[in-house]
Amino acid sequence: MAFWFYRGLRRGIATTRYPKSIDPWARALPSAPAFHSARLTTQIADRLAQACPAGALAREDRELVVDLGRCTACGRCLDVADGVVEPSGEFLLATGVRAALFKRVPIRGDDGMRSG
Amino acid sequence: MADVAPGREPEELSDELRRRALRLFGRSLHIRTVDTGSCAVCESEIRLLAAPHYDLHRLGFFFTPAPRHADVLMVTGPAVRAAENLLRKAYHATPDPKAVIAVGACALGGVYPEDELIHGAIDRVVPVDVVVPGCPPSPLALLQGLLVAVGRLEERVCALSLDLDAGSAK
Repeated sequence: MAFWFYRGLRRGIATTRYPKSIDPWARALPSAPAFHSARLTTQIADRLAQACPAGALAREDRELVVDLGRCTACGRCLDVADGVVEPSGEFLLATGVRAALFKRVPIRGDDGMRSG
Repeated sequence: MADVAPGREPEELSDELRRRALRLFGRSLHIRTVDTGSCAVCESEIRLLAAPHYDLHRLGFFFTPAPRHADVLMVTGPAVRAAENLLRKAYHATPDPKAVIAVGACALGGVYPEDELIHGAIDRVVPVDVVVPGCPPSPLALLQGLLVAVGRLEERVCALSLDLDAGSAK
């Protein structure tokens, strides 16, 4: 039997293979931010918290607290600080525990002279 | 669903609950969607679950128009106070054992704060078993939420780190 027949049948399947595998395009969906903690300073963290319209970002001393449940993946935090924030690409966030959606990112960047 | 027995670890209890859910729901689960004032984008994503690309029927999930036939309530929206009665009625009409999935950032308290018109989150009205964040959550995320709700898939978010420099930490 010609192979094109099998290939045609295989390519004719439109259904995703999830949960066996995740579609490769899915990582390009809008997703919650991830942070380069080494470049993250308290000043940047405050700016991020101010820019977030959903109130998903907050600074607690030397930590940035991210509430993934509130994040709407609007991407405004990506414009606040160049090279510090990136889309995480993670969207499979379902959980039975609401508290698991609170993520803490340490602020390891140096604030320098200005902040004292 | 289970009585909290003293002297037992919560993990042990949740494992037992998960096994029980798997046995009870098996491979046939009926879903009723409840809208408590969402912008309808979550609904459009939920509707896509039945489209050929996601095809939730292959996993044994079905939509049902009546809460009395449902095992799972998928609740969207910020729990508008005008819809409180509706949500409570749907919850009590759903036979036990049941699971409530709160879908979208509104349902988790993300978009609208609590005020005289809005409760702000679903868990202020009915108990929530599984939360699916996203604005809107992708149909793949909704499928994951359903599979987590019946214990057929482990959640991933506990192990997730948003720190890109965690590996190079001192």
